[in-house]
Amino acid sequence: MESNKIENLLNAYFEGNTSLSEEKILKDYFNNHRVAEHLLQYKPIFVGLHVAGMEKSKQQLDTFEIKTSGIKPWWYSVAALLIIAFGVGAFYLSQPQLTAEEKEALVAFEKSKQAMMLLSENLNKGAGQLDLVDEFTVSKNKFLK
Amino acid sequence: MTKNEFIQNIVPFKDKLYRLAKRILVSQDEAEDAVQEIFLKLWKGKENIKNYNSAEAFAVTMTKNYCLDRLKSKQASNLKIVHSNYHASENLERSVEANNGVEMVFKIMETLPEQQKIVLQLRDVEQFEFSEIAKILDSNETAIRVALSRARKSVRDALIKKYNYGIK
Repeated sequence: MESNKIENLLNAYFEGNTSLSEEKILKDYFNNHRVAEHLLQYKPIFVGLHVAGMEKSKQQLDTFEIKTSGIKPWWYSVAALLIIAFGVGAFYLSQPQLTAEEKEALVAFEKSKQAMMLLSENLNKGAGQLDLVDEFTVSKNKFLK
Repeated sequence: MTKNEFIQNIVPFKDKLYRLAKRILVSQDEAEDAVQEIFLKLWKGKENIKNYNSAEAFAVTMTKNYCLDRLKSKQASNLKIVHSNYHASENLERSVEANNGVEMVFKIMETLPEQQKIVLQLRDVEQFEFSEIAKILDSNETAIRVALSRARKSVRDALIKKYNYGIK
């Protein structure tokens, strides 16, 4: 009786003429009931279709991570550009300031060095002249013994 | 559509889309890649989803198109040589697994033409109405019924052939 009904449903099933509810009956029969011997050959089909429907994807979706980080690059690139521009700008701005100070110091150093040289030169000249004074004493001693 | 709405309405289709992708692409890894890609596309086009009657049908259509494209580009490149090898080893595998009927059904389903695979998957696994399948496949209900009948009969005939072969 039962298997007769199932047979009719099976025939309609293979012709593509069953409704969703009829297909549900077939699926239920082959998955959850004792299947009549002569219908056993159809069992793998319905068990297989049932099993196929239970398969689940094990992977996690990272769509939203991609998406939210996908919006940022625009801001990121602007921020990165600003940082680089600021860095380069600061470097260029600070560079001449430092050298100007250094230059001033260098100039001052050179000037004072020159002044020292002049001073010592003149001092040496003066000291040279003193040799003549010594000569004078030597010749004076010749006479005044 | 906000992120929360998207998670509530679209993300639950994930497993369904994955199963369809796997049915078409066969490989699990490729199916997962495809699903990832499809969700990205869905998220990007989330404003358009509202314009469709059923978000589910929209997502399924997108998955089908994407996977068929992937398959086409794969076959166009280097898979032809691999494919001829694949059949030989598959036959060997099949005779080894001949005692597992369910496994055999899966193997037989892999050999069906793409269109029949998709129809069988959508109807017998995911229980879509004929009208929905027709819309997804851009076809009519009669054609869907014919394709479905062919797919079911192919599976049945191949299965019975294997069974008898195994018994003999």
